[in-house]
Amino acid sequence: MNPYLGTAVLVLVTSALFVVPLIPSLWELHRKSDAAALSVVQQHTGEIRYFADSFRGYIQSLAPLLKECGRSGRMVAGTMMDGTDYVVLGCRGEALRLPVSSKEQDFQVLIAASGDLVVPPNTAFSKDMYVRGRLLGGTDNTYRAILGERDLRLGDRSSVLRWVHAVGDFHAGTDCRLYGRVSAEGAIRLGTGCRFSRLHAPSIEIGQAPRLDHPSPVDSQSLAAGDEGARVLHDGNFEIPPGPFGRSLVVRGRLHIRSGARVYGNVKSWKDAVVEAGVWVKGSLVSARNLVIGPNCRIDGPAIAERQIFISTGTQVGEAEHLTTVSAPKIEVAEGVRICGSLWAREHGQAVAKS
Amino acid sequence: MIYLLYSIVALICIYTLRHYWFTLNRLFGFQRHPYIDIDAADWPPVTVLVAAHNEEKVIANILSALMTVKYPAHKMLVVPVNDRSTDRTRAIIDEFVKQFPGRIRPFHRTGGKGGKAAALKDAMELVETEIILIFDADYIPGAGLIRQLSAPFFDPEVGGVMGRVVPLNVGANLLTRLLDLERAGGYQVDQQARMNLRLVPQHGGTVAGVRRSALREIGGWNDNTLTEDTDLTYRLLLCGWKMVYQNRSECYEEVPETWQVRRKQIMRWAKGHNQAMVTYGLRLLFGRHRATLRERIDGALLLGVYIMAPVTVLGWILALAVFYQGIAPLHGIVALLSLTAYAAIGNLAAFFEIAAAVKLDGNRQRICLLPFLVLGFTVSILAVSHAALAQLKDAVTGAEFRWDKTERFRKVTW
Repeated sequence: MNPYLGTAVLVLVTSALFVVPLIPSLWELHRKSDAAALSVVQQHTGEIRYFADSFRGYIQSLAPLLKECGRSGRMVAGTMMDGTDYVVLGCRGEALRLPVSSKEQDFQVLIAASGDLVVPPNTAFSKDMYVRGRLLGGTDNTYRAILGERDLRLGDRSSVLRWVHAVGDFHAGTDCRLYGRVSAEGAIRLGTGCRFSRLHAPSIEIGQAPRLDHPSPVDSQSLAAGDEGARVLHDGNFEIPPGPFGRSLVVRGRLHIRSGARVYGNVKSWKDAVVEAGVWVKGSLVSARNLVIGPNCRIDGPAIAERQIFISTGTQVGEAEHLTTVSAPKIEVAEGVRICGSLWAREHGQAVAKS
Repeated sequence: MIYLLYSIVALICIYTLRHYWFTLNRLFGFQRHPYIDIDAADWPPVTVLVAAHNEEKVIANILSALMTVKYPAHKMLVVPVNDRSTDRTRAIIDEFVKQFPGRIRPFHRTGGKGGKAAALKDAMELVETEIILIFDADYIPGAGLIRQLSAPFFDPEVGGVMGRVVPLNVGANLLTRLLDLERAGGYQVDQQARMNLRLVPQHGGTVAGVRRSALREIGGWNDNTLTEDTDLTYRLLLCGWKMVYQNRSECYEEVPETWQVRRKQIMRWAKGHNQAMVTYGLRLLFGRHRATLRERIDGALLLGVYIMAPVTVLGWILALAVFYQGIAPLHGIVALLSLTAYAAIGNLAAFFEIAAAVKLDGNRQRICLLPFLVLGFTVSILAVSHAALAQLKDAVTGAEFRWDKTERFRKVTW
């Protein structure tokens, strides 16, 4: 082969090899098919009612029909603009009546009830549900999502796949599965054995409403002057004794808060934190591992753990006027606990029997 | 000479492994977001400092955005830090003050030392709250951002917080698209991996926050540095305060649209970073302080990221030199392979990091631009090497640092 030709071929092949990966680059640079800024929802605030609010807007077109059915008591079926079938019920405390076979027990239509609704057991709803009155659900039901303008009560062993919002109270019987967001403007009450992910209400109660007998704070003037606000760093394990403790604390080991302690700062432990019975923490409680809160404690919060939180009977976290957050990948809450605000278990949350 | 080359190769291998470790952690490891779920709390009072020097093009956007965020209005005070502006910045700020009485307290600075750190230092006289959030004027915070950036401060160990910066003007030209990829790699992978692994997330000086008591403990803002954010990161670390990175606390920014502006920006960052390396490097590694062993190692590596550019250039020169002098490190082709492989793998690791970031962001076609990053890296390596040499010259001649403001490209809307 001619050496000049060989060199030329080599140069050409090398250039081609260099240019080949640039072809899709040049094409994309020219077309700008993916040149928009990363989508950051500027109005996103992590609002738990986001889906409920969207759904309320979605069914706005059914408002006149709901009003009319509520007056007449009749039932109307139709199709939404996006092709979703719906049934508007003019029921008043009667058993649910829908235009599908009762044997199927699977309602694949959006249901909008103009008044109170009673749902039979062993029923599945694969579309969202709107209830203008109260909802009384039977046992072993499966709901996709529910928006209720008053109280919602689910029977034992029911499941909610996406979200629930109650303008009144929300009550789930024992062993329910609440996979998505659950919020109420009144209270949320969960039976034991319920599993949850994200709950938010001014009052979240597990089992029977607790009769709270919490420790009372000491007069803040009894704290040593100058203590408040200062941060203490401690290497190794640490114990907060009974009585007032007026500082913020970071423990690079295990933290043990003894029964009767009153902690006025924020506290954090690198390892497990154990709070004994009858402790008051005015600030936040943070653990880089597990957090165990004993019975009859009062935590003003937030309470955060990077692994697991266990909250014992009779404890209250937050106040109705000062909502707070309890958050960890895994959370177990015993019967008789009250949380005011958000309870967010990213992986697994469960209401358990009295501890 | 050969031992120097060995050392450089070893250093680059360490950075390569670090890149891979971070990327694999982001793709397959446990992701730490301990504070992002705090959505209900007795929110603390905050002061939002908005650093502004001749920002007439952008200042109205950020002030408007801050007035609509979801945070108790009585607990949030916005302090625009108007640093010796000669354009309409002051007039625009004053108009907002009138429009939102009691919610904005301007700090008009007409003299004094130049630079953002010096301006923030002076503005501290207006700060009364424990939590301070900082934004540059070209950022546009979303409705939930102030709450998200305040939430980590419920942890008494947290001294600073950093959110994610997202370029807004991505589609402007090739440079902005490359910067978008670099930012994605830096935040989506690098910063979050450091957070996951309890290493040293870096304070970026904007979309960020600092605890006032922590700032007081470390001696306040350092106005003798070109990058007050890096300086702050290390001083907090040495005093036992943690920096938190919140990947989901995203905020739009404007990236440079011309190579000249980009070159100046990265040179300033490099100089400031190298300054921090000289000031804190040895103390961080060997001193008696509160940082953990993994923080010491990662912190030291982080301090070295900009000096690695001239070191890499030196490595290439040495590689050629030893080849032509016949001082082969091993023999024949193996030697050549080992000399070239480190560079290839080193680069590939960074590419891998950026590709992973693009995937994590759910983007698709922009990954096609990856080969063009060679261009961006080349410019960065040259600019950073130039900065290092200039810094060396400044140190010898005793010249003072000069703070160059990054030019804005947004159209004036106010």
